[in-house]
Amino acid sequence: MESLNLIRDFLKDRLGVEAEKIVPEAALADLGVDSLMMLELMFEFEDHFGIKLSSDLQPPKTVGEMVEQMDQLISEQKP
Amino acid sequence: MTQRRVAITGLGLVSPFGGDLADFFTRLSAGESAITHLLTDDLPRPLSIPFVSCSAFDADAALGKPLASMMDRFAQLGVAAAFSAWDDAGLPRSAENGTRDNWGVAWGTALGGTLAYEKGYRELWQKGRERLSPLSVLLGMNNAANAHISIQLGLGGVSMSHTVACASSAIAIGEAFRRVRSGEATVMMTGGSDVPQAYGVARAWEALRVMATGDQDTSPSACRPFAADRRGLVLGEGGAALVLEDWEHAVARGATIHGEMVGYGNSCDHTHLVRPEAAGQVRALAATLADAGLSADDIDYVNAHGTATAEGDPIEVNALKMVFGDRAAQLPVSATKSMHGHLLGAAGAIEAICTVLALREQTIPPTINLDNNLDPACAGVDHVSTGRHHVKLRAALSNSFAFGGSNAVLAFKACSA
Repeated sequence: MESLNLIRDFLKDRLGVEAEKIVPEAALADLGVDSLMMLELMFEFEDHFGIKLSSDLQPPKTVGEMVEQMDQLISEQKP
Repeated sequence: MTQRRVAITGLGLVSPFGGDLADFFTRLSAGESAITHLLTDDLPRPLSIPFVSCSAFDADAALGKPLASMMDRFAQLGVAAAFSAWDDAGLPRSAENGTRDNWGVAWGTALGGTLAYEKGYRELWQKGRERLSPLSVLLGMNNAANAHISIQLGLGGVSMSHTVACASSAIAIGEAFRRVRSGEATVMMTGGSDVPQAYGVARAWEALRVMATGDQDTSPSACRPFAADRRGLVLGEGGAALVLEDWEHAVARGATIHGEMVGYGNSCDHTHLVRPEAAGQVRALAATLADAGLSADDIDYVNAHGTATAEGDPIEVNALKMVFGDRAAQLPVSATKSMHGHLLGAAGAIEAICTVLALREQTIPPTINLDNNLDPACAGVDHVSTGRHHVKLRAALSNSFAFGGSNAVLAFKACSA
C-alpha cells in the first residue's frame, strides 16, 4: 500500500493526476509518465524506502507492476 | 544578399516589481528602485546584500507545475519571460508541425543552472546523501532555458545559449538579429535569464570586492552608477525576452511592431580579465554604428552598461566621448541598473527592453542616485538623472561590457524614425 501511495502522491504533485485514476491496471505511460519521469519515480522509491535499484532494472509498464516490483525489492533489502 | 529589416514584435519579462511590462517601464521612468535587502538563512553566514528579487514570481502559476518542476529557477524565469514576449507578439503557443522550422532561440545566461548544482553539492556534502535526483543534469545545463523554449513553442530552427558573463544576452540578441536579417530565420526568440543568489556564487562575487553593501534602509539606493559615492554593483535575478521577426512577415500578419533592431557590433578588449578598456568598447560602438548605417549624430539615447563600479563607469564614459566627440556632451545617457540591478546574463536583455521602450514611449528612464553627485571622472555626457518624457528619440544604443573583455552593443530605431 505504501508503494501505491508513493506513486499516487508523486503523480498528484507532479502531474495533478487524481488518486482514483492510479489503479494497478493503469499504464504508467497513459498517466503521463515518460522515460525521464520513470527515473524520477524510481529515485523517489530509492530515497523514500532506502533501497537501491540496479541500473539494469526493467522499467515497469503498469502501476501494478511497479508496486509489485518495488514491494519485492523493499522486502528483500529490509535491514 | 538582400538584408531583411528586423522588427521587434514581442517584449516580455519577469518584473522585479511584480507587475507587467507597462508597469515596469512606468516605474523605471519615475525613478523607482526595485532593489531590496536580501537576507538568507544560509549557513555558516547568511547572505545580507542589496539584491533584486522576483519575489512575486510563482513558477507553478506561470508555467504549470509539470513544466516548472522540470526546470531550475533560471530556466523558469527565462521561459516565463519568453511566454510573455510570445503572447505580446500575438503568436500562438502551438503550431502545426513544420511551420516553424526556421524559427529559433538564442538565449543568454552567465550562470545557467548554478542553483541546481549548488543544491546537489549541499545534498552530497552537507547532508551526506549518496545520490542525486536524475533531473540534476537537465536542471543544471546552461542550455536548459532555450531547450524548453524551443520545445514549448515548437521552434525547429537553431536553439543556442550564449555564456559571455555580463554580455551574454546582448550577444544572444545580436546573434538572433543577424539570423533574422540574413533571412536564415523568420522569427527568433531571444533574451536571457540568470539567478545569481546561489550561496557560492554570491560569495564569489563578494570576494571580487565589486558589490555594493546595504541594509534594509539603504539597499534601494545602493546602486549609484556614475556617482562620486558609488560603491559597486547590485546583483539581481530575472528573465527578459524579445521576439525578433522578419519585418515583412510581421507586417503581413498584422503584428504590432514595438521598434526596429538595426545594428549589432562586438569586440574584445584582449587586455585584462576584469579591467575594461575604452579602446575595446570604442571598437564595439563603432562596429554597431557601421552595422546599423547610422552616424553618431543619429543616436538620441544610450542605455549604458553602467554597473556602478569604480573602474568601469569612467571608462565607459570615455569610450562614449571618443565615439561621439563634440556631441557627447549632448548625448543622453542613463544606467537603468541603478533601479533593476545587474542581472548578469539577463542584463543585456532587460536593458534592450528598456531601450526599445524608451524609443517607443519617447521617454528616457533615469540613472537614479545621481543628483548633484556626479563623479567628475564620469562627466562629459548628458547624464539623465530624472526621467525625461515627451522627448524626440530616433535611435538608441544599449551597451553591455563583460568580464573577460567581451563587448556588445545593440542599436535600435523607433518605428516612426
